[in-house]
Amino acid sequence: MTRPRPLARIAAWAVAGTVSLLFLYPYLWMALGSMRSTRAILSAPLRPWPEQWTLDAYIRLHEVAGVTLWRAVANSLGITLASTALAVGITAMGAYALCRRPGLLAFRFLRGGFLLTMMYPYMLLVIPVYIVMYRLHLLGGYTGIVLFLSLGPVQFFLFEQFFRALPAEVIEAATIDGAQEWDILWRVVMPMARPVVATVSIITFLLNWAQWFPVLVVSTTPDTYTLPVALLNLNGELGTDFQGIMALSVITTLPPAILFLIAQRRVIGGMTEGAVKG
Amino acid sequence: MTLLRHQDRVFYLFAAPFAALTLVFGLWPILLSIKVSLSESTTALARAPRFVGWENYATILADPLFAASLARTLIYTALAVAVNVGFALAYALLLNSDVIGRGRTFFKLAVFLPVVTPDLAGYVVWRWLYDQSFGALNAGLALLHLPGFGGIASPATAMLAVLIAELWHHAGFYVVIFLANLALCDKALAEAAAIDGASAWQRLRYVILPQLRPAILINLIYALIQFLKTFTVVVVMTKGGPNGATNFVSYFAYRLFDQGEYGQATAAGTILFAIVIGISALAYGLAKRGQA
Repeated sequence: MTRPRPLARIAAWAVAGTVSLLFLYPYLWMALGSMRSTRAILSAPLRPWPEQWTLDAYIRLHEVAGVTLWRAVANSLGITLASTALAVGITAMGAYALCRRPGLLAFRFLRGGFLLTMMYPYMLLVIPVYIVMYRLHLLGGYTGIVLFLSLGPVQFFLFEQFFRALPAEVIEAATIDGAQEWDILWRVVMPMARPVVATVSIITFLLNWAQWFPVLVVSTTPDTYTLPVALLNLNGELGTDFQGIMALSVITTLPPAILFLIAQRRVIGGMTEGAVKG
Repeated sequence: MTLLRHQDRVFYLFAAPFAALTLVFGLWPILLSIKVSLSESTTALARAPRFVGWENYATILADPLFAASLARTLIYTALAVAVNVGFALAYALLLNSDVIGRGRTFFKLAVFLPVVTPDLAGYVVWRWLYDQSFGALNAGLALLHLPGFGGIASPATAMLAVLIAELWHHAGFYVVIFLANLALCDKALAEAAAIDGASAWQRLRYVILPQLRPAILINLIYALIQFLKTFTVVVVMTKGGPNGATNFVSYFAYRLFDQGEYGQATAAGTILFAIVIGISALAYGLAKRGQA
């Protein structure tokens, strides 16, 4: 292979670097905005560091959109963690059953029905889901939100792909040893599936943390608002508290950003695989 | 064969929670939305709704606001798909080339980070970046002695402003799909073509792009579905405005829902669903036929 010419490398870096900086700039601006007063921003909009390092806006944020900040943080964590755990358990068992008995008529219908659901424009599904929640008396509570967020296509495709690639001998050997199906799933298959479980868990956490429309639709009071919904409300309020909006944006963005940077290989690999499969 | 063979029973049990969620939060709502779209709005949520047949669809289809919204959605989708997939392809080719060397991971993470950033937070920040009085964008343009950008305040530029914000959020996903495909490409082919005297453009056109067919297909279909449904960015940044410039179908339907016009809202939604399915099936079919 020929050694790349240094001039070509500098040009390539200049282009990729400019694009990267443009993509990252909103994060810097958001962080700065949370520390600078509106007046300061008006006089020097592009100043790359704050006049003073202050967390005042964060401290002032103790109440947003009718809930305490801590409640919104707890809601976000609780709803995201619970729906992630449920999604992993339910999808793993479902995908496993569908892979072990692909010929069953009921399972073929189930798979088809699931795929149809996932193709339906999400935001339009939420409207009839409101009616369903109303009929099941789940409006205003956490149960409805968590259950609704426990179903997703990426999760299903990743598990299905793993179970399909599982060598048949593994299960046969366990069957010959007289193991029950329940034990085969939990003692043999799931331990092997640990990497997929990790990938699906992280991706589901990232996706569900960002969810806002189902939360808004199912909520009847701000008590069940998550961070993105609180942010939407704060942003829509009259007499904008710009610093507060930026501070809440930072709080909403930071947890998934950190998780992603720690697990970036897994996240990018999993999302690519899930998409290519789907 | 009995319906429930003994050795299958346990698998029905495994699949039961998954099936329950699919039924309750998937198929039931879809059926409900079709039923609601055929009902009179004031009775749609009642136990015994009054059916009005295709009336809601007729009302929607005769509404010039819906026609304008649909046309706007299709124009925006065509533009957004072309810009996003085009940008992603160019950027992925750049990152994949040997000249980049070190720094490749950083350049990739920089464009993928917005994908996992909650879209709502990202669009809130963009909404303020565009702000005429203290947004950074116009200040930056002024610094470079470039003309100002109307952003979301002007009907002429609002769609472009939305497109840029959506590109920021979505393009990284298309980039990594292309990168995954490029990693599978046979580099020896391009090198052989180079030795045979093929220009860079010829190598791209005849050697690399044909190998990228799967990624192009996946990205086109994903982007089509994505941008036909554009919603969050409109809610956060423009509320369909100014002057209806960004009132896409999903937001149009949402507004109807908000006004209690459940019948018309779900009718508009069902029409959009049919378009999404139709266009993706068409794109898929065309791509398959081109492959054969």
